Amino acid sequence: MKSTLITGANGGIGAALALAFLKSDVAAQVFLGCRSSRARAESIVAEFPERSRIVTLEVTEAASWEAAVAEIVQRTGRLDVLINNAGHHRDSLLATMPLEDWHSVIATSLTGTFLGCRAVVKAMIGQRSGRIINIASLSALLAPAGQANYAAAKAGVVALTQSLAKEVARAGITVNAICPGYIATEAPGADTAELAGRVPARRLGTPAEVAAAAVFLASDAAAYINGSVLKIDGGIL
Amino acid sequence: MPLAALTSATDFSAQLFTPSTMSLELSREIKEMMVEELMLKVPADEIADDTPLFGPEGLGLDSVDALQLVVALEKKYGLKLPDGIAARGILQSVATIMAEIHARRVVPEV
Repeated sequence: MKSTLITGANGGIGAALALAFLKSDVAAQVFLGCRSSRARAESIVAEFPERSRIVTLEVTEAASWEAAVAEIVQRTGRLDVLINNAGHHRDSLLATMPLEDWHSVIATSLTGTFLGCRAVVKAMIGQRSGRIINIASLSALLAPAGQANYAAAKAGVVALTQSLAKEVARAGITVNAICPGYIATEAPGADTAELAGRVPARRLGTPAEVAAAAVFLASDAAAYINGSVLKIDGGIL
Repeated sequence: MPLAALTSATDFSAQLFTPSTMSLELSREIKEMMVEELMLKVPADEIADDTPLFGPEGLGLDSVDALQLVVALEKKYGLKLPDGIAARGILQSVATIMAEIHARRVVPEV
């Protein structure tokens, strides 16, 4: 039995991650970390009531992480996989970027990932096994205009991933990052055809294609992949 | 941490700790746990109670080993150690770890 916690589980990629983990292993226990929006997560729990559960999680608050991890360990006795997926955009040119948009994006993506890793790493060391998968972004590697906050936060997630991997590898824990490119979610404001035109594959990726990579990174077959950064972008970079 | 504080931690352990069958058993258990958890190349019976855990004269553990040791001690003995530098006085040697386990058993937490 594998116990998995996914943050941002109500989002497009988060929900796909939850479904992929539930479907890839009939014994998987999946905990869906959500804030107030949870309609999509609730529909997953309705489909898999025995093996999935929503946990309230505010990723920017250490106490919220401690409570969520304690609940999972109490219910399943372990925590095998953490996927730090929560994040959001507040795009604008740096010259006009409000400080609160800088702080907000750094807090959710970078501080949230730090707090998540810190909350689970001792439990994983005690198990002498664990998988942490941080969902970064192609923006971490491309650093597009208009995303100074998001690109910096996600580049920070990549560096955090590689630093932590070196710290915990000897305890049987792997820490890897996934950098999705243009993924077809319901995120508003995206002109799908225009975006697809920028991709060598001439289409957007699907959340399921991101989730499939995470399932692999969490598997025993990926035990020697550590501190890696896997881009899933249809060939953009 | 000032040197005096480290020294007093060792003296403290010497006062509280007296060898017995139980302590020999505990000593062996801790050493075997360290060899297993930290994947040490040295056999458990070649580690002395006063072998320094850190530094070139001792086992040469690093900070990542220390973290693993802190987690293992908590798991096995319920010994909750403070993070960072405060734990270093306790993690000097097997003897100082035993003294801490012994002290926590003798003196109930309030």
